Amino acid sequence: MIALYRPGTSLLHRTPAGLKVVLFMLVSLAITVAGSTPWALPLALVFVIVGYLLAGFGARELARQVFAVRWLVLFMLVAQIIFLPPLVAVGNAARVLAVVVLAALITLTTRIPALLDAIDRALRPLRRVGVNSAAVGLLLAMTITTIPVIAGFAATIREAQRARGAKLRLATFAVPLLVMSLKHSDDLADALAARGVE
Amino acid sequence: MARKVRFELRDLTRIAVFSAIIAVLGLPGAIPIFGSPVPIVVQNLGMMLAGVVLGPWAGAAAVLVFEVLVFAGLPLLSGGHGGAAVFFGPTAGYLIGWVVGAFVIGLIVNTGTRKPQWWRVALGCVVGGIVVVYGMGIPVLAWVLSAPIDKMALSNVVYLPGDVIKVIVATVISLALWRAYPQSFVRTAAVTARVEEPAAHVSY
Repeated sequence: MIALYRPGTSLLHRTPAGLKVVLFMLVSLAITVAGSTPWALPLALVFVIVGYLLAGFGARELARQVFAVRWLVLFMLVAQIIFLPPLVAVGNAARVLAVVVLAALITLTTRIPALLDAIDRALRPLRRVGVNSAAVGLLLAMTITTIPVIAGFAATIREAQRARGAKLRLATFAVPLLVMSLKHSDDLADALAARGVE
Repeated sequence: MARKVRFELRDLTRIAVFSAIIAVLGLPGAIPIFGSPVPIVVQNLGMMLAGVVLGPWAGAAAVLVFEVLVFAGLPLLSGGHGGAAVFFGPTAGYLIGWVVGAFVIGLIVNTGTRKPQWWRVALGCVVGGIVVVYGMGIPVLAWVLSAPIDKMALSNVVYLPGDVIKVIVATVISLALWRAYPQSFVRTAAVTARVEEPAAHVSY
């Protein structure tokens, strides 16, 4: 699996994950509140440029991020273009694009474990109301390790059907996938119980 | 919340496995779709099935876990998208709607009987998978784009036929899953008296 993280040592890379998320929320709130006022776009542009410079990325990385969300931009334009004046539609899309590209900075400069840790820490105060943050951590880790297993099941089923010349259909594919996956989950629970988890 | 929710170990592994299924449904080339070369997003099918099979709490938790991993930066959304960005873009409302929708589906399907009834599954998927998701997605879309909400709703009609097909597919799959592996639907309370008979044979 390809993580979206880009290694680096910039100021943004060294900022704690939780702080980055909070800062980003404030910035995106500012851009969204500015809304359709004429200075929303320049404001967004300044944030994007400063953000990418602080992360040590150049125009090329920015362009790559914009390209990565091209379908999203198209979706936004199509949703609006029929009903709104073109200039307004493009302005709206550009503003949202800025927020999305800024959010990508969190992902680009933060390792996944660091973000998961931040989530774990953010959940810790909720222990008082009964949220078991250790179970949440186990759950997230377990899901990450299970994804390749399920993808393996999917490949097995696909190849078995192809070998028999069976027609590939979603329903005939999904049922065995679900059965294999849910059996796997029961085995996983037995294995964890045998090792004394909970 | 008056009722205290507590997940058993068996629920935890099911939540993890269902999150992983939703993720795999988004991997390119993982899922054959009616022999069509056009990529159709089937991840909301996974979200519907999570609600049907796992029930309201675990179903919503499975979708939530999936979304936390997307937020943390795994490129698990259809087309290799991921990262915090998707939660701040125009599609944020739909993602929140998925969690609430899975919960609503679980409530509708899960009440009373254990064997899923087709009309309950279909109704649940329509209400939770379409009404709730659109109901939360469209206002956020309109707000983020500062566009009129009624017109945004109108532009969403394009996605309706695909989602109706997914409701039908989800219903067919749920009933087939009941026949193939009824233990899937067993809730924690009943797990201690789990059916000991080995699982029905997997045919693929």
